[in-house]
Formats: sequence, structure tokens, C-alpha cells
Amino acid sequence: MAEYFGAAVADIFNTMERRFIPEGTKGVDTVIGYNVSGEGGGYWRVTIKDGTIKVEKLDAAPTGCTVVLNAKAETFVGVTLGKMDAGEALSSGNLKVDGDITVLITVLPKAFNKFTPIVKARTIVESMKERFRLDKAEGVTMKLGYDLAGEGGGKWTIAVKDKTCTLKEGLDSDCSVVLKMTAQTFVDLNTGKLDGATAFTSGQVKIDGDIGAAGNSAKLFAKFDTGEEKAKGEELISLKCLPTINQRYATGPVMGKWFAGLKEKKFYATRCPSCGRVQTPPREICADCRVRSEEFVEVGPNATVTIVDLVYYASPDPLTGKIRETPYAAVFMVMDGAGKDQSVSHFLNPKDFSRIKPGLKVRPVWAKERTGNYEDLLCFEIDD
Amino acid sequence: MKRVAICAVAQHKCESNIWYKRFQAMLLDVLEDIQAQTGMTFDEDTGVHTIVSNSDDVFDARTISDNGMTDVLGAHYREEEKAAQDGLNALGYAMSIILSGHADAVYVAGHSKESQSESRNMCTNLAYDPFYGRPMGLDYLNVAALQARAYAEKSKLTREQLAKVVVRARQWAARNPYANATAPVELGEVMYSPVLCDPIRTLHAYPVSDGAVGFLLASEERAKEFTDTPVWMTGFGNCMDSYFLGDRDPVSNFALKKAAERAYKMAGIKNIKKSANLVEVMDCYAYQQPMWLEGLGFCSDGKGGKFIDDHGPAQYNVNLSGGMLAGNPLIVGGLYRAAEIVLQLKGSAGEHQASDVTCGVAQSTTGGAGQFHTVAVFEA
Repeated sequence: MAEYFGAAVADIFNTMERRFIPEGTKGVDTVIGYNVSGEGGGYWRVTIKDGTIKVEKLDAAPTGCTVVLNAKAETFVGVTLGKMDAGEALSSGNLKVDGDITVLITVLPKAFNKFTPIVKARTIVESMKERFRLDKAEGVTMKLGYDLAGEGGGKWTIAVKDKTCTLKEGLDSDCSVVLKMTAQTFVDLNTGKLDGATAFTSGQVKIDGDIGAAGNSAKLFAKFDTGEEKAKGEELISLKCLPTINQRYATGPVMGKWFAGLKEKKFYATRCPSCGRVQTPPREICADCRVRSEEFVEVGPNATVTIVDLVYYASPDPLTGKIRETPYAAVFMVMDGAGKDQSVSHFLNPKDFSRIKPGLKVRPVWAKERTGNYEDLLCFEIDD
Repeated sequence: MKRVAICAVAQHKCESNIWYKRFQAMLLDVLEDIQAQTGMTFDEDTGVHTIVSNSDDVFDARTISDNGMTDVLGAHYREEEKAAQDGLNALGYAMSIILSGHADAVYVAGHSKESQSESRNMCTNLAYDPFYGRPMGLDYLNVAALQARAYAEKSKLTREQLAKVVVRARQWAARNPYANATAPVELGEVMYSPVLCDPIRTLHAYPVSDGAVGFLLASEERAKEFTDTPVWMTGFGNCMDSYFLGDRDPVSNFALKKAAERAYKMAGIKNIKKSANLVEVMDCYAYQQPMWLEGLGFCSDGKGGKFIDDHGPAQYNVNLSGGMLAGNPLIVGGLYRAAEIVLQLKGSAGEHQASDVTCGVAQSTTGGAGQFHTVAVFEA
């Protein structure tokens, strides 16, 4: 099974019920779909309802979900383990969210204890070189063999000589002692789930060779760190919350004229009675002249591009809470008939990303249903 | 010593729901009013080029909200600074700017639109820390109720006396063209209006309001350019008390007494009861009128209840504007207080003009239950 950062995608879902915190999800009623692509990926659906959880592996893309998370397998594991930044993953498109993203922010952190990768025998053996204790190795020469049976098992030889430790695959014929057990027993012994003496007396571990050397070997290596202590023992507490106070922003008769115009596919600007400049969107005052602008003039609908920028990082639209598709282009342009330095901005049609440049003419692309808001205008595109 | 003149004041009429105007447009009305009164320009050499704004980011739901309104403050290409506390402090900034010699004329403008948010109480809940205060729902209203209860106990304030404060506020508000809640009310209506947060009832609390205020301040030398009837700002002081309620004695008036002491000292006032004949206090809730009058020294400590029965508020011309109870928004509450004092001392208060007023005290507060107090003294 494909692994990323020492964990498989399935491990994350298989441990969900064990990691679930019923008290954290009182009153929650949500269905989260997962579409994990690439090796080791698949479809899952997680239903959380008032302190209960149901995790299902599906054969097809999940339906009927509050939110669906789409990710590459590596990204999914990386973000879950905190090895990859969720914001960057969203920006790069490796992680996409369809539906109510607030569920992921508000529900998930309270619903689960942190996932830690399932420890593999190989991981423990390979960490022995790092755990080798120089201070205990003075004058010790030995060869320690491991013969681990079953899934995740294998054969390894650890050689200690002249205060160095080497590891290789396979069993040397001249091992001082060979420890035989299943890979699972080996993992349990190293993660504190099984007591050594019990394992030996119950026959779960067989020692072939010098029993004394087997006993001595234990103190040559520091304890294996499962990482679980760290996950549990957060000392600094931070509170996550999403303060929300609904607002009703007034547009007034001036800014409001712009939005009223959009409904009729028209663009309105104000003309300064003093300097004559034509400003879009319209505003109450000409800041330069400090006089009220009360005359409306129609401008556009076409415009000339002044500057364009491509935005790659993901951010939610504050009006809808949805994450904008990235990359998107913010195009600044002067509407036909508006003042030279009075540009307005909107989105650029993605089909024009490669061709857009200052000086080009663009035209508006209108929404079918227009209600007098920002989304009445879908975008602008090159007028050719 | 240099003197600071208030040359002109402009008030936007307070209303409960100015849905039809952006707050920028409210400020533009105020700006044009001041310009019409004084001929103020923003010419870099001969006009005003220093502006102090006053607004609150949470009520505006914008970060650094002044940046989105400088056009209507005349601040385009000029100096601008924001007072995020109650607006009376914006006047304090302007006064310091002039006394320091940095500028000789300053335009001050503040606004607050409480109706923009779904709930004023939710906004003031955000003033509290997210760990202890917010989860238990603290906001300026229910924290004031704690203080109201303790104060009523201390100063023997009865329900009838509280109701009298509101009835009188509405009577004066009816004569103030800028007030919001002007309908007359009777004692019984106040005493039996629905309970918001015991002991504070609906009519004890200031109504949700929108408003904007502008001031032109200048040095004594320049004031005559703008007005024939300057009012002098002669004293200013403020004081900040503990943030955590549990660290404060809710009825000691400590911060207010300190703020008043500082302002009176600056104005050279020894006995405020003899010097001042005009007072505007920021009474968001009815109990605050006698309580702040105790803190300011017009009423003896612990005698607030009796002070009302003895017509103390009438004796000192307290809140002839109608006060906060007649509906000014938070943040600019102090600017509306000062505006009333200035109009009265100029003799331009119209229908509610008091006779022979020469010295007025404006007080404002922000933070739950009077955490922070500001006091300013004005003289004709």
C-alpha cells in the first residue's frame, strides 16, 4: 500500500472511529465526502451526527455530502499529519473543497484526536541507528539479528562494534543472538503495549543464541518515540472560533447607482463639477477638489486594460464563503469614457490569461440573472 | 498659554436606521455644513491640512476603517490620524496638536452607524476577551446592569427616580433637532417597559442610533478667520481603569474622578459646582446620569437618588440635548456631548438654549461599565 510521510490514506480513515470525540460533536449533523486521487486513494464518506460517526468506503464518488474534499493522496496525508500547509495546498489546487468549507474548520478539529501514523516494524528497526547510545557502547561488540514474521516483517542484522552501529537487511550467519517474533509483537514491545518479560515467558518471543547479549542489547538503544506523547501533551491552548456578526452595508444613492446600472447592463460614473474627471465606480465626492459629485454619466461597456495580476493563493469570497478558483486574474481597466487614471477592477475570463496585456480592449460578460450585485458581471474578456 | 478655539460644530441628525446612506455620505453632509459655516478649505498653505477622524473598526466592519473615508474628511493628500476611543478623545488629540504648535487648525469628524450590524450587543461582546468574557456573553449592556444594581444600592436610587431621568431626557430631546428618540414618555411607561437585563429596562437604555459629528478647532490667532463666536476648550483629561471587571470597584467612579481632576486642573477650576453651569454626560443607561454626575463632582458621593428629586439636573443644565438616552451612537457619544456644549456656549442652541451659560463640562465613556472616562471643559 502506498505510503506518504509514513502513513497510508486508508490508515487515516481506519482510525477515525477510534479517534472520534463524541462530546465534541453534540448537535452536529454533517456529511463529509472524500475523493482522494492517486496511489492509495479512493472514496470515503464520513457521517457525523450528534456525537456519532459512520465511516464508509465507497466505490464511486461520494454524493449527498455537506462538503466534499478533493485531494491527491500525498496532499491528503501531508495535510492531515501537518507536514503540508493546507493553505498552500488549496492555492496550488492539490486540495479542493466543494460545499461548505466552514464545516472543515469548525467541526473537524473538535471531532477527532490527532492522527499519528501507525508504527511499522521497519520504522522501528531503521530508527535504531539514531537511537544508538554511544555512552553505553564502550567496549561492546555484538551482532543482533531480528527475524520478524508476518505482515510488515523482515530480517535485519544490527552490528555494534567500536562504538558504531550499522544496520543491514538480512541475517548474518555469525549473529550473537537472533530474536524471533511476529512484526506485530515487535511493534507492541517497542511502543509500550507489551511487556518484554511477558512476551518471552509466553513464547511470543524466541531467543536464538546468547540470552545475555539479548538482555544487554536493550540498554544500547534509547526508547522508540511513537510521537503520541507529543500529540497528547499540548501545553499551550489556543481557541478556534469564527466570530460572525451579520452586516447590512448601505450603498446609498451614489454607489448604489453602479449596482442598479448593472441590472440594466449599464455602467455609471460620476463627473466632478470642478475638474470634470469621470470616476468609476461612482462616489459622493471628488477627493481632489473636495466637492460633491452629483452628475452621473454612462461609461463603457468596453474598457482598456491598464494592469493585470494573477492570483495563485486561495482565499474565500467574504460574500459567499466559497473559495475562489485559482489562479484568477484581477484586471484593472479604464471604462470607455472614464477618466484616464480612473480604473476599475474585475475578473478576467481565464481563457484570456495567456494573451492579456495592458492596452488591450476588453468587454463585459454578463450573468443571465442580474439582481444588482457584484456577481451580475461574470468577468471581462478580450474584445476580438 | 495658548488657547484652543472651537470655531464650528456640525451634527448629523441621529436616526435609528440610516439604511439609505453610506456612512461616508453622512460625513460629507457634516463636512459641507462646517464649510458653509466657516469657509474652511483644505488648501495646503492657507487651509486646514490636519484631520483627526473618529470611528470604530468593529462597528464599521472594516480594518483601519478611516482609510475608506478620508475623501469625505478632506484628508486626501493631507495629514490624518484616527481616534479609535470615544470621540471626545479626538477633540483631545486636536487640542494637543494645536497646543504643541504642530498645526494651527484641525478638522475633527467622527461617525458611528450602530444599525449596520445585526446586533449592537454582539459588537460590544467583542470588546471582551475570548476566553472568559465572550463565552459568558458579557457586553456593555449586561455589564452596565451589574453596575446599575450596585449603584442603586449605594446611592439609594429608586425606580421612580430612574424613570424621572428618562422622562426629562425625552422632554429636552423634543427641542433638539439632532436627537433621535424625541417622543414623550411617562413615568409609568418607563417603570414598566420590558426588562432587558435586570434592573435595566428598555426605556432605560439608549436606542440603537446612527450619527456623525464634525468640529473645526483652531488656535486663538486663527480662530477669527472662521468665527466671531469661538468657544474655548480649556481643559481635557482621561483615565483608564482595569479591563477585568473583577479588578474594579463598580461604584467607586475612580477613573471618572481622575479624568475630571485632570481636566479641571488644566482649566484652572477649583470648584466645579461654582464654575460650571452646563453639563453633558454620556448616559447610555439612565442610572449613569446621576452616577457620572457624582464622579464629576456636581453631586455628592452616594447621593445620586436624592439629587434627582432635588432637581439637581435642572440646576446645572444637565443634558439639555436629551443626552445619550435620546439616542446618540456609541463612539461619537462624546462628540455629541461636546457639540451641545459648544452650541449652548455660542448661544446657537435654538429652542433649547439655556440662559447665561458660561462654562460647560462634557463627559464620555467607553469600555463596559465605565472602564475609560474622558472629561473636557469648554468656556464661552
